Amino acid sequence: MRVLSRDCALLLAAFAALLLLQDAALAQAMRHPFAVGPSEGPIGATSGLTGLLLAWQSKFHMELQSAAKALKTDPFAFASLAAASFAYGVFHAAGPGHGKAVLASYMIANETALRRGLLLAGLAALLQGAVAIALVGVAAVLFGATAQRMTDAATWIETASYAAIAALGARLAYVKGRALLAAWRKPAFAPAIAAARGGAFACVAVDDPSHVHGPDCGHAHAIDAARLSAGFRWGDALATVVAAGLRPCSGAILVLVFTLSQGAFMAGAGATLLMSAGTALTTGALAATAVFAKEFAARLAARKSRRAELLLRCAEFLAALLVLAFGAALLLGARMGPSMS
Amino acid sequence: MPMRYGIASLTIAAALAAAAPAAAHPHVWVAVRSEVLFTPDGKIKGVRHSWTFDEMYSAFALQGLGKDGKPPSREELAPLAKTNAESLAEFDYFTFAKYQNAKAAFGPPEEVWLEADDKKIVTMHFVLPLQQPLPAQKPFSFQIYDPTYFVAFDLEKQNPVALAAAPAGCSTSVVEPKPLLAIDTQKLNEAFFAKMSPGADFGMKLAARVVVACP
Repeated sequence: MRVLSRDCALLLAAFAALLLLQDAALAQAMRHPFAVGPSEGPIGATSGLTGLLLAWQSKFHMELQSAAKALKTDPFAFASLAAASFAYGVFHAAGPGHGKAVLASYMIANETALRRGLLLAGLAALLQGAVAIALVGVAAVLFGATAQRMTDAATWIETASYAAIAALGARLAYVKGRALLAAWRKPAFAPAIAAARGGAFACVAVDDPSHVHGPDCGHAHAIDAARLSAGFRWGDALATVVAAGLRPCSGAILVLVFTLSQGAFMAGAGATLLMSAGTALTTGALAATAVFAKEFAARLAARKSRRAELLLRCAEFLAALLVLAFGAALLLGARMGPSMS
Repeated sequence: MPMRYGIASLTIAAALAAAAPAAAHPHVWVAVRSEVLFTPDGKIKGVRHSWTFDEMYSAFALQGLGKDGKPPSREELAPLAKTNAESLAEFDYFTFAKYQNAKAAFGPPEEVWLEADDKKIVTMHFVLPLQQPLPAQKPFSFQIYDPTYFVAFDLEKQNPVALAAAPAGCSTSVVEPKPLLAIDTQKLNEAFFAKMSPGADFGMKLAARVVVACP
């Protein structure tokens, strides 16, 4: 167990990095005087790349504005609005945000199937756009709500999303904690148990092509990454989509209200969905990175399957705890922070 | 030791997620016009701001207000003005003043009101009194910026700063920051990235500084 504890320490260091992400996203809880809907992330410690992203985002935002303004007069304005919206989505999603923090943590805690991960990222982005359209559509178009009312409504949605994050984290921590305990209690080398657990250990002949096993193989070589997600449940996945995507983004709300004021709400709704598509591209890349990293870790640990499993279970549990802590902190910040209204 | 690589890859994933591209970018643009106010005995007593918002934020602020396509009145906008002014305190009113190289603090804003013009562009007016009037002979300067860079403040192109009831001989000048969007013409070289790395206080680095000088 001595080796194990050292590895766990290293793992903790890895998760400190995830914490950094959460820290950046946590600062979102602060209320801004000119907030448009929910609060937005701060500009954190910047790197050269950040400056570039920043400049591009601003540029696309400006283009959104002029394209939306031209909708009435220029028949091609929607094309430029669409292009700017998509690009805005791609670059805006490259910033920190609690949605991405939740998604990344969930992916590390739970997800190993790439296609499913991409689907989740896409659904979260789509939900984000849909919430903005629904918010402005219902509040502004139907009820003629003022900016303050809309910001209040967005704040409620925001708080609900934080509660969803905390709930998701609590559930994941429970499931992953149990899995970790189970892995810990297992004897050091127990192929029979592995088989009995439904084959969490798959048979992969690593270096010798003639070294092949039948379906009931006698010993374990590698963790089959796909089987690590044995505990996958669509319920958790959809909860992640909700937690990550419930909060609408300010940019979308601005575009929607602006196009509404120009009498072109539908164009704004279309632009918002394209923004979601752009966002999905970026968050999908993040999800894929998480999947690959986990798979990579499992592969490299091929020969030390028990230790590797313990470690990965440990990683999953920590990621789950992070989601929980994150949700709780955001919720607390939202409840205690100065309110916009 | 292979496990190390596994952990390294997890770290990389986490770092990528955290990926310092921590960029909130402006969602709101404000054109600033400011007036430096003096007491009868020639001390600097505060700053009067007129902040004109961009079309998008203006549309947002006016949503659901006004009748028959006309912009809303000052009274209709009063609740929003009050809310804005209250939350400004959290952010030091986005106005960061220096007097003799020390921070000069402002009190709560006065005479706060919002106006919407015929083109439905919104302007916020308010007065920021200094906590105590300052003798004008020493250097006084201020910057207007949002540290979170959610709002991009820019000084109006023409006559952004004026002096009200200033002693004879006082003047203002504006020290412009280095432009951010001049990047289009630049190559992606090392120097470019160095220039684009302004540190945490991005908003400040992009803010012009208004300097008041009196004899």
